[in-house]
Amino acid sequence: MKDKIEQILSEAKAKIMEATAESELQKVRSDFLGKQGALALLLKELPTVEVSLRPEMGKILNQAKAKVTELIEEKKTELKLKASEVSPDFDCTVPGTMPANGGLHPITQMCYDLNDAFRSMGFEVFQEDDITSELYAFDKLNFPPNHPARESMDTYWLEGHDSGATNEKLCLRPHLTGGSVRYMQTHKPPYRFVYPGRVYRNETTDAHHERAFFQYEALIVDKDITFTSGKVLIQSILSKVFGTEVPVRMRSGFFPFVEPGFEIDMQCQVCGGKGCSVCKHVGWIEVMPGGSPHPNVLRAAGLDPDEYTGFYVNIGLDRLVMMRYGVDDVRLFHSADLRFLSQFR
Amino acid sequence: MKLSLSWIKDYVSLPDDTDLKKLAYDLTMDTVEVEDVEYIGKRFENMVVGVIKEVNPHPDADKLRVCTVDIGDGEDKTIVCGGINLEAGMRVAVSVPGAVVRWHGEGEPVVIKKSKLRGVESYGMICASDEIGLGDLFPSSQEAEILDLSAFDVPAGTPIAEALGLDDVLLEIDNKSMTNRPDLWGHYGIAREIAALYKLPLKKFEPAQIDAPSDFKVEIIDTDRCPRYIGVEMEGVEVKPSPFEMQSRIWRVGMRPINALVDITNYVMLATGNPTHAFDADNIKDHIRVRRAEKNEKLLLLNGKDLELCEDDLVIADGEGAVALAGVMGGAKDSILPKTERVILEVANFESTGIRRTALRYDNRTEASSRYEKAVDPERCDQALALSIRYFKELYPGLKITGYCDKYEKKLQRAEIDVNLTWLAKRLGKDLTHDEIRSKLEILGFDVAIEGDSMHVIAPTWRSTGDISIKDDVMEEVARMYGYDNFEATSFNTSFDHAINQKDISLVRNIKEYLAIRCGMQEVYTYPWMNDVFVNAVIGDTKGVLRLSTPPAPDLSYLRSTLLPNLCEAVVKNERYFDDFSIFEEAQVFFDEDYTSPYDESEKLPKQRRNIAAAFATGTRKLNDLFREVKGVLEFMPRYTHMEGFTFRKETKPVWADNVVWQNIYVGDVKVGDMGLLDKKVSMECGIKNLSVMLFEIDTTLLKPLISRTNRFTHLAEYPETDYDISMLFDSSATWEEIKEVIVKKESGIIKNASFVDEYRGKQIPAGKKSVTIRLTIGSKEKTLTSEEIENAANSVMKQLNKRMGAELRAQ
Repeated sequence: MKDKIEQILSEAKAKIMEATAESELQKVRSDFLGKQGALALLLKELPTVEVSLRPEMGKILNQAKAKVTELIEEKKTELKLKASEVSPDFDCTVPGTMPANGGLHPITQMCYDLNDAFRSMGFEVFQEDDITSELYAFDKLNFPPNHPARESMDTYWLEGHDSGATNEKLCLRPHLTGGSVRYMQTHKPPYRFVYPGRVYRNETTDAHHERAFFQYEALIVDKDITFTSGKVLIQSILSKVFGTEVPVRMRSGFFPFVEPGFEIDMQCQVCGGKGCSVCKHVGWIEVMPGGSPHPNVLRAAGLDPDEYTGFYVNIGLDRLVMMRYGVDDVRLFHSADLRFLSQFR
Repeated sequence: MKLSLSWIKDYVSLPDDTDLKKLAYDLTMDTVEVEDVEYIGKRFENMVVGVIKEVNPHPDADKLRVCTVDIGDGEDKTIVCGGINLEAGMRVAVSVPGAVVRWHGEGEPVVIKKSKLRGVESYGMICASDEIGLGDLFPSSQEAEILDLSAFDVPAGTPIAEALGLDDVLLEIDNKSMTNRPDLWGHYGIAREIAALYKLPLKKFEPAQIDAPSDFKVEIIDTDRCPRYIGVEMEGVEVKPSPFEMQSRIWRVGMRPINALVDITNYVMLATGNPTHAFDADNIKDHIRVRRAEKNEKLLLLNGKDLELCEDDLVIADGEGAVALAGVMGGAKDSILPKTERVILEVANFESTGIRRTALRYDNRTEASSRYEKAVDPERCDQALALSIRYFKELYPGLKITGYCDKYEKKLQRAEIDVNLTWLAKRLGKDLTHDEIRSKLEILGFDVAIEGDSMHVIAPTWRSTGDISIKDDVMEEVARMYGYDNFEATSFNTSFDHAINQKDISLVRNIKEYLAIRCGMQEVYTYPWMNDVFVNAVIGDTKGVLRLSTPPAPDLSYLRSTLLPNLCEAVVKNERYFDDFSIFEEAQVFFDEDYTSPYDESEKLPKQRRNIAAAFATGTRKLNDLFREVKGVLEFMPRYTHMEGFTFRKETKPVWADNVVWQNIYVGDVKVGDMGLLDKKVSMECGIKNLSVMLFEIDTTLLKPLISRTNRFTHLAEYPETDYDISMLFDSSATWEEIKEVIVKKESGIIKNASFVDEYRGKQIPAGKKSVTIRLTIGSKEKTLTSEEIENAANSVMKQLNKRMGAELRAQ
């Protein structure tokens, strides 16, 4: 009898192993465990077994039943897990759906990238109002009363505030540097701050000229600063923003509020300095003016220029962003055109 | 400004093998930005001198001729040409295949190819002067006139550039990079700089030898505005063309040759940077006076402009009245005329800012005024005079100088500056030897005296009109002559004792990132001015709105006091392409009030704020959903941006808002902004076609960032909480605020929260009613509630709602 049980058990095991669907397992269950099943039939034969062996046989028989039941359950779970809920034709190549579809303006993004870079070097971020007086737009910045820049910058003056003393004559700021004086007047040196903002020039617009554009000033003022320190600063900031070493060169330039003044060029990131159409085949791209704040500007901020000096740069954000993405028309930035803006994430 | 290399070489002996790329680079790095280096000859590639052998009529075209031309390659070419002055034996400019020309001097450049013209094979093109860019050098007198080069005695086949002596190089310099260097505005100035950079000898001008009667008189009445005036009266001149080389040089650097008398004055200006002028002496009555104009004094300029002058203008006058606008332009009546035989040459110096004011006042900037306004030094008159006299004598061998007067009342003082050498070393970050410093300055024309730690520097005259005035200027000269690239870069060693924590700055960034990244909105930029259409539609009343005095366009004069008009304009622009979008902008707004400044007591600035505003536009979703999205964006904003929370009230309706759908946004008791649905009429006036638009605008300066993250931890519920939804019928006018208030008041301690699920009006709901589904969160701190207890709690809420608001259970 024991052999028979063993045989039935192995038959059941084999059937269970073969089963590929739950219905087959049902059949195994009724074939082996059902009232007319193989094990039930054996149970009926138990009385014919010798008395002394009956308890043992009964035990083995029950164990076999339990074993089969267990195997069936196991197989059932296995089959369930195996069963895919989806059709084999499920197409994994369909594109994903867009999560909430928004973004920051590309210039804001560049500005925040720069903020992060400068803040990591201990710079504060300063912000200041768009309307300023001639006093801060020009006087405090070492522009003599008749300096051509006051006119050539083609400033947007305000109606009803376009004449009179310079502290009352109001305009949309033509540059940010006047705001830097405000910062210096209200803080104690040494200074390390950046100053992002929009500036305005009354000029005709085309693909390279805008009436409203973004500048980003950085100013550091302390006692022992050489003008070459600025080069290190610019190099590390640009490298951080572009994610790669960016060679920088400084050359002679002139702006009333710095002395000496520089034009700062970065190596063209499109051709790596070999020369291409973007950099007009010179390998360098003019990205910012800079220099040491003019002694008169430091004086206007209440500092002694014999004691303090500094380094200043003014980064043209529009141009930097244009280069970052290859944008060829500066007017797109103020277009509010979602077809353009939604390209920057 | 364009400079001719061959002209520069008149004054400095640059070696012929000079690397021009390096020259441009060195000038760019140390002095001025060289924007371009142009080989003029390149313009004339594939253009040669041809000699016409035969001119025959074209078989099929009356206006065309068929020419046989020798272009020097041993094989006569057939060229079809429409020129009217073609003759056998004539030397002409022939563009052979590959040359780039402009048809009739207009339009896009075209590459010449062999072609058939009305059936006749034509090898190339016989050119008119303007077709090959020589129109200004060889002006044609009539249409279809071919450039006649017969005067140039060169064999057929000579390249045009060689034949005309145009094998020159132009350096194009960015004017902006030399506004502060008046000394560089001329070929001699750049030559002097190159001589210094390359340590080459610079040629000097031989002083003019003038032997003339001394009764010739010039009177300077305003010596502040005219420090120096040299007048030279000459006879024996006539109006004739100047030598080709003079014309060619003037033309090369971008001016137009006119006649010998005018060309000499322009040539001298281009060479020395000092403008000069010639008057017809027969028209000058009495002597020359330099004085301020009288009020309303009339002057007709050479270019035909009829001016009515003011007392700030400086004029050159004779006994009868103004004859020229000093330093700007001559008058029409007294300048060089076709019959001029006697001239008075003016070599003068004028004060810069006055010239600039006058030139701008009459919108009449000229080559002369743009040089004078940079502040030319009066010593330069000597060079200009020497060169002028040389050319007058050369061009008019019979010239006789009949009068000469040099009034130099305001002598130029050379700038003197003391520089502490320790200071210099500190700023340079480098210890240069005294000899190094001295040689760098001396080569630029400075006189240098060093004693111990102090250096006394005297600037040359040409750098003493404001350019060099303080010790920092001297440092710059030393640094640039040393070469900026040759300084080792040193880092900063400033230390700061505080970490950067700017909550206001961070808050605005947090809000923008929340809107963009979390809420899926797009940031836009618009201009600070508003279009009248949107001002009228969205704001209406413009009281308190500032305006520009010279706006970009007449309908763009209002400066924004709210960001919403421009956002509405942005909605209109985008409606063409999108039917469901949300945008926001953060920018400054301005108000015609306040007029104080936080920085300077004397300054009078208007009130300025920074706002964030948003527009949600949809043509696909229901207003209810749109409203709840906008409200959700606002309600969750404080939580994600770390500021004090908003409450909503209905106090003052925004002018642009729908009568019903709007709320005021508060932080504590301060109103910080508005939200609402754009009124249908406003929307229509804006030109929005099919979109519903919800707006909000917040004044970010009124927001209160949290000192730190102040959320408190709450213990997790120990016993389960159950959500239980009830739907009840309320009067249609009942508000969620009222409903919630009833439930919260009733709160027995086991109603943890009541939240809005939805509301419904319409089918199956009686008129004047709405169904509101409310989700109650029910739970206890002490035990797990039985389902009976939960139902009792919900029932008691429903009873209260019934009692207080007449709400009925919605029929199941």
